[in-house]
Amino acid sequence: MSDLALRAGHPAIKERGALASLSRLSPDRLVPWLLPLILLVLWQASASLGTLPPSILPAPFDVAKAGWRLLRSGELLANALISFERALSGLLVGGSIAFILGLSNGLSRLSERVTDSTIQMVRNIPNLALIPLVILWFGIEEGAKLFLVSFGVFFPIYINTFHGIRTVDPQLVEMARSYGFKGFELFRRVILPGALPSILVGLRYALGIMWLTLIVAETIAAQSGLGYMAMSAREFMQTDVVVLAILIYALLGKLADSTVRVIERYSLAWHPAYRKGARA
Amino acid sequence: MTALATKPRSAQTRGASVSLHGITRSFGDTPVLKGIDLDVRPGDFVAIVGQSGSGKSTLLRIIAGLDQGFEGSFTVGDTASEKASSRIMYQEPRLLPWASVIENVAFGLGPVPARDHAFSRARTALEAVGLGDRGGEWPDVLSGGQKQRVALARALVSRPDLLVLDEPLGALDALTRIGMQSLLERVWQEEGFTALLVTHDVAEALTLADRVVLIENGRIALDLDIPFARPRRRGAVQFGALEDELLTTLLKSKSQTEEYII
Repeated sequence: MSDLALRAGHPAIKERGALASLSRLSPDRLVPWLLPLILLVLWQASASLGTLPPSILPAPFDVAKAGWRLLRSGELLANALISFERALSGLLVGGSIAFILGLSNGLSRLSERVTDSTIQMVRNIPNLALIPLVILWFGIEEGAKLFLVSFGVFFPIYINTFHGIRTVDPQLVEMARSYGFKGFELFRRVILPGALPSILVGLRYALGIMWLTLIVAETIAAQSGLGYMAMSAREFMQTDVVVLAILIYALLGKLADSTVRVIERYSLAWHPAYRKGARA
Repeated sequence: MTALATKPRSAQTRGASVSLHGITRSFGDTPVLKGIDLDVRPGDFVAIVGQSGSGKSTLLRIIAGLDQGFEGSFTVGDTASEKASSRIMYQEPRLLPWASVIENVAFGLGPVPARDHAFSRARTALEAVGLGDRGGEWPDVLSGGQKQRVALARALVSRPDLLVLDEPLGALDALTRIGMQSLLERVWQEEGFTALLVTHDVAEALTLADRVVLIENGRIALDLDIPFARPRRRGAVQFGALEDELLTTLLKSKSQTEEYII
């Protein structure tokens, strides 16, 4: 607590915070949104002029209308919520198993010898290739989605946790040992913080795979969720709903990525590459 | 021998004595240390000089307890009294980049210190190295010399009886180095610990040490008392003869090895 207070109270750090909030309003932050905006305008224009038939790609305005309609009926929110729940539970299950295995293999040569080559073999199976088998095992119940998402997020988190632990600076570990740190304290104060940048890279990869896997699984074998919503819309030729679903995927992916960025900013504040204002 | 009596020292000399008996260490078939015997009196500042590869750093790592694969024996502190504590300062600062400067210093107190108490002790140690106002910053914003000063504070915060220094000033520029030398001398005089400094800089050894031990081919080749009063002026005239003797011994062994290589 006292160190946090101390850090926050330091004039240099306060100043850095003030600068960052000033730059929040600058045109610098609007630049990334420029290209999507231009594309949107072009899209609307060509749809309004009739160069783009609505059966191929409905106008953005129609997509928005479909979104509003589904939002009011509650269908959109219910499906999104179910998808979100599936994604999160898959991430939690697969991610925690991967994290624990990554830790134990990173810390113990014995554990690595026993499990690592098996994991590397399984890793090369594309997880979507398991869909037929998974349907045979679980049908199209929740278990199928949970399994596929867990399986998908497992590998990036495992590999990056393992790699992070293994590449912790051995000089720091030696230093900490000479100061009497060992066991859990050594892990908590030196090894885990040292591995964290790599673990968070793993998490970012995992989030991408999480959505990809879930959407495919929902498209093929589900009775609810965003993927199902898009699939059933196709049957009724509701192109606007299909496009809406795709846009929501993009949004959710961006949201997940931003969440990890926030986590990185907060937990890797010490790292020059993640410091506020360090990003160009 | 007269050096001890004449030099101004703090009242509480609480340093540990160090005795080495027949320390031998080989890496594979290459012998690095061939039977080192050395007795260091409590509170002394001893510099160990030698060429790179002479085994001086290996000796230091053994004394610091970082290297277990040696033969022979050594004791730190009197066997009768409680266990003496020793700390090492490395060539690199080795600060934790994810901990603030003050947390890094408090790290030197070991795994489970009482938190507020730890921070007040760490602050005192930081002030002693002249960085009392930088406690809240991240280590990577500090300069090389400042980082080494934080590392010194971390080594001293637990008030060790023995401080082992493995060329801690080697990577610093000349001016920063001189500043660090006088800082090191000052805290040593204030705290009264025993100091073992490995260096390849003969002038540095003469400025700081009560005694200079020259290691060559795994053996002690020269063991000189440095009887000058402190504070010493860098490059003082009376250093000349001793510096010459040390450098001659160092260069002689160097020319021998070179002939051997040719």
